[in-house]
Amino acid sequence: MKKEFQVEATEKFAHRVRWHIVETVINHGEGHAGPSLSATDILAVLYNGVMNYDPADPQWEDRDRLLVSGGHKCLGIYGTLVEAGFAPASILEEYNELGSHVPAHPDMYKFPGIDFSTGSLGHGLPLACGMAMAAKLNKKDYKTYVIMGDGEQGEGSVWEAASYAAAKGLDNIVGILDRNGLQINGTNKEVCDTSPLEERYRSFGWDVVVIDGHNVQEIYDALTSAPLTKGKPTMVICNTIKSKGMPFAEGKVAYHHWNPDKKEAEAAVEALKKYQKERWGI
Amino acid sequence: MADPRKAFADALLEIGDKNEKVLSVSCDSASGSGMKPFNTKYPERYIEVGISEQTGVDISAGLAVNGFIPVISAIAPFISMRAYEQVRNDVGYCNTNVKLIGSSSGLSHSPAGSTHQANEDIALMRTVPHMVVVNPGDCYEVEMALKKAVEYVGPVYIRMPRHAMEDILPREERNFELGKAEKIYEGKILVIASGTVVNDAKRAVENLKEQGIDCGLINVPTVQPLDKEVLLEALENATAVVTVEEHSTVGGLGDAIASLMVENLNSSPKLKKLGIQPGAKNTGPYRELLEAYGLTDTEIIKAIKEFIEA
Repeated sequence: MKKEFQVEATEKFAHRVRWHIVETVINHGEGHAGPSLSATDILAVLYNGVMNYDPADPQWEDRDRLLVSGGHKCLGIYGTLVEAGFAPASILEEYNELGSHVPAHPDMYKFPGIDFSTGSLGHGLPLACGMAMAAKLNKKDYKTYVIMGDGEQGEGSVWEAASYAAAKGLDNIVGILDRNGLQINGTNKEVCDTSPLEERYRSFGWDVVVIDGHNVQEIYDALTSAPLTKGKPTMVICNTIKSKGMPFAEGKVAYHHWNPDKKEAEAAVEALKKYQKERWGI
Repeated sequence: MADPRKAFADALLEIGDKNEKVLSVSCDSASGSGMKPFNTKYPERYIEVGISEQTGVDISAGLAVNGFIPVISAIAPFISMRAYEQVRNDVGYCNTNVKLIGSSSGLSHSPAGSTHQANEDIALMRTVPHMVVVNPGDCYEVEMALKKAVEYVGPVYIRMPRHAMEDILPREERNFELGKAEKIYEGKILVIASGTVVNDAKRAVENLKEQGIDCGLINVPTVQPLDKEVLLEALENATAVVTVEEHSTVGGLGDAIASLMVENLNSSPKLKKLGIQPGAKNTGPYRELLEAYGLTDTEIIKAIKEFIEA
């Protein structure tokens, strides 16, 4: 089942996911808000008109697959799956508790709708290759989407798999690169520059599209245009802002992991309220 | 003497004929592993990844969660060590139905040195959650390990030897099951052996018995999980225990037996672990290297005598 894509509905969906991310971190006291917020609009588009899925049957064999390779974006995918109907919002209250269904990296045996457990970087793309190859062997037309970060491009296994996907013609893989330019120790340029990612992927045999990763129409158009060439995997490079939606933290290295004090917690909530009031009068 | 790669090749083909969900995944290692006949007959079920073991393991996990039974083979150090994290996370913790084949295991590549010898793979694979670890000692065990691994639902690591092997016992006397050990001789001086050196251990035990030494022998093809029933029954009556394996003395069969004894027996017999000393990186012809490491029949006899006389 695929939703019909509508810009405003998708933006509102994304906004509700941002609320889940921000509230969960505030309630728990810490969490990876920044990387989740940079990927929120991408996730919202995936679940609002791009991916086939059925919350009543998370293991439906014809569903599209999604790998959130950077498992620290867990709050983004948890919030998205809650909004898509896979679990009640109350599940987020368990965040990082003992025995939680929502630990700081997603576990496929703990939360319905997670297609594979992730956490360690550089595993998503090779896992996606296996799922995409399974689709080809089973003559299924589902797609496998994989969200990676630009810092993650430092992992060698990413490039093993990038090479494999192109060599084997896996045009049913859609890579999504959440290029927010930041990682833990600094900007990607400062730490160990992984650019030029467009050229790198093209030279590996991928089609590459570069878009604004916060413009839902652009995201939708790019994701639904894949594959651009039969027999080639597609990489959609999304230029994003880390911590998008929390103005005091946007694009700042220090907010990869957020430990909100009272002032920041209030500022984050105010920002979300202000945004929805200005945008939709609600 | 028979070729274990042929035994593997025949078994894989037979399994493939019966179960269309079985795939072979190769990391540029298909011919060395004995996958070629399967791959020739079923080219559409042959996934060639190239020299990318991490990706090979994750592709296998991705295939497994979509209903396939991937049998992935790469040279033992590369699949068990280079791809260890993929094995641990995406096969072990995720409990995916992947069958890992560590080809040319142990000292198989004896002239090639420490990079290509896998003396620590059992130690590593024992730490992986849900992992069944099999160390075949002859062609019958190679064949049965693969067949039983594919029937079993869950992660399995099989060590695949390279050099010709003789049968440990006549086939009609065998009954291989995953997790089952095989008592060959009863005796107070208990030799527990696994894998390629079982035949040497067996000849050593037979020789010592002829000399009037009360030696027993248990063959342990599955190092994890251990067959507690058979092993503890024998260990309770043992006065001394000697483990024999073509593997480091750290973390392999010897340490598994040591844990089993101290956790279960009120009073553990003394233990001698025969294997490869950590850091040993000698090279040479296979049998000569085994001898240099004290793992041939004559060396095992000497070691056991020294141990029980000490």
